[in-house]
Amino acid sequence: MIETNVAQSVIHHGLELGADFAEIYVERNLSNLISTLSDRVQSVESGIDFGIGLRLIYGHKVLYGYTNQTDEDELHRILSELAAKDLRDPQATATAFDFTTIETKHPAAQTLSDHADVDSKVAYLLAANRAAKASSNQISQTRGMCKQREQHVAIFNSEGLATEDRRHYIRATLTAIAADGSEQATGQWGDGGLLGWEISEQLDPEKTGQEAARQALVNLGAKPCPSGRMPVVIGPGFGGVIFHEACGHLLETTSVAKKASVFHDKMGEMIANPAVSAVDDGTLQNEWGSINIDDEGMDTQRTQLIKDGKLTSFLVDRVGSEQTGFARTGSGRRESYKYAPASRMRNTFIEPGEHAFDDMIESIDHGIFAAQMGGGSVQPGTGEFNFAVTEGYLIESGKIKHPVKAATLISTGPAVLQEISMVGNDFSLACGMCGSVSGAIPTTVGQATLKVDDILVGGQE
Amino acid sequence: MNLDTAIQSILNKVVDAGAEGDLIIDQGQSLSLKAQNGALEEHKVTSNRILGLRVIRDAKVGTAYSEAIDDDAIHTMVDQALLNASYAGEEPAERIVASEHQLQTDDALLCPPDTSTVEEKIDFALTLEASLAEKSKVQSVPYNGVQAGFGQRQIFSTQGLSASARYATMSAYAYALIEEGEVNAMEGAGQASRTFGLLDKDALVARVHQAGLDILHGKPVASGPYDVIFDVETQSALFSVFLMMFSGKSAKDGVNPMRDRLGETIADTRLTLVDDPEDTSGFGYSLFDDEGSLAKRTTLIDAGVLTSLAHNSVTAAHFDTGNTAHATRGPRSTLGVGLHQLKAMAGEETEEDCMAGQWLEITDLTGLHSGANPISGEFSFGASGFLHDGSNRVQPVRGITVAGNFYTMLNTISSISDTPLWNWQRSSCLPMIRFANVSVSG
Repeated sequence: MIETNVAQSVIHHGLELGADFAEIYVERNLSNLISTLSDRVQSVESGIDFGIGLRLIYGHKVLYGYTNQTDEDELHRILSELAAKDLRDPQATATAFDFTTIETKHPAAQTLSDHADVDSKVAYLLAANRAAKASSNQISQTRGMCKQREQHVAIFNSEGLATEDRRHYIRATLTAIAADGSEQATGQWGDGGLLGWEISEQLDPEKTGQEAARQALVNLGAKPCPSGRMPVVIGPGFGGVIFHEACGHLLETTSVAKKASVFHDKMGEMIANPAVSAVDDGTLQNEWGSINIDDEGMDTQRTQLIKDGKLTSFLVDRVGSEQTGFARTGSGRRESYKYAPASRMRNTFIEPGEHAFDDMIESIDHGIFAAQMGGGSVQPGTGEFNFAVTEGYLIESGKIKHPVKAATLISTGPAVLQEISMVGNDFSLACGMCGSVSGAIPTTVGQATLKVDDILVGGQE
Repeated sequence: MNLDTAIQSILNKVVDAGAEGDLIIDQGQSLSLKAQNGALEEHKVTSNRILGLRVIRDAKVGTAYSEAIDDDAIHTMVDQALLNASYAGEEPAERIVASEHQLQTDDALLCPPDTSTVEEKIDFALTLEASLAEKSKVQSVPYNGVQAGFGQRQIFSTQGLSASARYATMSAYAYALIEEGEVNAMEGAGQASRTFGLLDKDALVARVHQAGLDILHGKPVASGPYDVIFDVETQSALFSVFLMMFSGKSAKDGVNPMRDRLGETIADTRLTLVDDPEDTSGFGYSLFDDEGSLAKRTTLIDAGVLTSLAHNSVTAAHFDTGNTAHATRGPRSTLGVGLHQLKAMAGEETEEDCMAGQWLEITDLTGLHSGANPISGEFSFGASGFLHDGSNRVQPVRGITVAGNFYTMLNTISSISDTPLWNWQRSSCLPMIRFANVSVSG
């Protein structure tokens, strides 16, 4: 994607400008997006993104620029412009490139550069639509989406790193809309991973359509959700967004180094209920948030964040490591060449426990069962977070009662981690997109069903 | 290959393939600066260009984009767009708008030359962070920045259109972490202008600091229904979440709950909403939409009555109505519909009238992207603000949620003030609106 001699020249130029560290991140990204609206193909879109990100580090200061052009003069010009206010005598010497071949941990077969498989993807989405529509005549519309992406990156740095990686992403979802007169409600189901369209062997369009329709129909008949503080049982899979928002972002050195995380000085301390052990694991084969190497070229790893309630690790990128002294964890990630890398999550989850689902429900006199969760957000400095319940049920006297409409759960990270008292054994993962300082990246959340003893539910009653 | 040659080559290839098409080109340069502990933490310089092609052949539409303009890339982009079109369902109403307009925005107004230096911007960024950091109770200023951006959108079509819009945006923002004992709060604000010299660092510092002090010791209020007034920023954000209610495309797709309600009263009769792309004081000013149609003012709700949806040429043809010039399309995306800049007409009451009795002022909403469903209108957000008695703040409020149905809430407006205000990003201009009986959990 870039000639070696050009890469060498650019790295040398960066160091000549006085930088402690210089890095080139080259990205070529193929994408294909198919959208359906009920029984018709609404659009097929495709494209090529290409660009080069240049990073110079002076101490803890990061200079970053990018361009779509590959010629040496333009790359030199950007570096010179970036470093214009920081020029000094050379501080470091470039190490000769040691070309490393990445052994992929996440094999992909039906890749986008081989074939877009448009017919097969369309057939899957239309079959899912038929299954949704067959569930009920109240399903008025469906929207299908299948996105495949092949990201080819090359990373060079002044420490001799010279490596390339290919990431193959695939994701397919169906949204069902149920209508009753003027009332409308939605449900969604989908799957994805770090692999090619061979994921279709695991996808069942019947299940996709029926599950999206089921959620929409449940929500169509839902009653207003009660509000106030109460216990909540949060379902498996995407329910793990609670840990992602309540704790995961607060363990990124992007926040920790600035002391903008409530956990910045808690290493080794009990920050959660002993029932909680949590992991960020980039090694899980073909999972949506997995990687071979991070976007700074470091091998990915499994990072134990919390063990039996005790904080054991942060998520650390290169700059975060220099600022905090903690070792890098292969967590430097970015959306594209347009962003400097930052410490980010991969596949993040609370490890399964031993409690039974029924025991959690039966332990509650008045509360909510949040079967499906939507997204959320967090304010790292205060730990205040929110996330949305997209399929919920009232719990009364230890029994699941009627469905309730969408609600938001809010708390703070430190508080909710202490309130997780029971963790089940029905563990699963779910894919999502996480937005932060280095853009939107694929991340997986996960957990078994768990019980939060006390949290504020924002309902309409 | 230079850009002019590439444009002509692409359009020629489209015509040679028996298709029609339009090409969007976005180009931009930006400078971004962030400070930490008195030093620059990030200095980012960017330059980018992207071409996005839409082709229509045999009533089928395909799109493709490229960030490169070499021969291979252009061939691939045109071939991909034509191939993608072959898979699409027929859309007879989607045509490239016939236009031989030569449109160009006023650079002097929208893209004035930047007379400030990089040194001045660095000084602004450093001083912004340092000035805020030294204020009382400020623990740190973890998020801050100064940005200068220049962009251009061009649209060319096989039907003769040539349109160009250039714009400049200068902005600054800061978020401060404020602590007292065991209590902390994070508050932030921003400013935007077309001219760097109009950014007011001191005002921004004072605003962020005061907002943090004011909210620091907030507590939840008792759960129940409250009259609620959203401040300028949160009200703009709230309306933006539900703008799909005006989308002709969502109506065509069958998911807009307002699709069959034209001519009906859907809001309190005091509410009149317009989309006004002709007001140059807003950053949503547009000379043309993304099909190249001349943008114009559209009344959406007139005294509570839904009078128009927003349309592009396709949705207008579908509903057999006029094109309101609300087409949206980016280089990477297909044709859609969107508003330019929303305005609510001034009401008849003063702000003091609106603030009579007990009410809750909302100054921060969280979970806007996840806690709302524009199809159903349901929402539930985390919130903070102030409990008021008249114009007096009785107590700061934190750790609450507000929930309801936005479309129902439009009918529970109890007053509208006579002074519309722009949000800081200058994307909407709305007066103070008081909503009655909003569900609050504390």
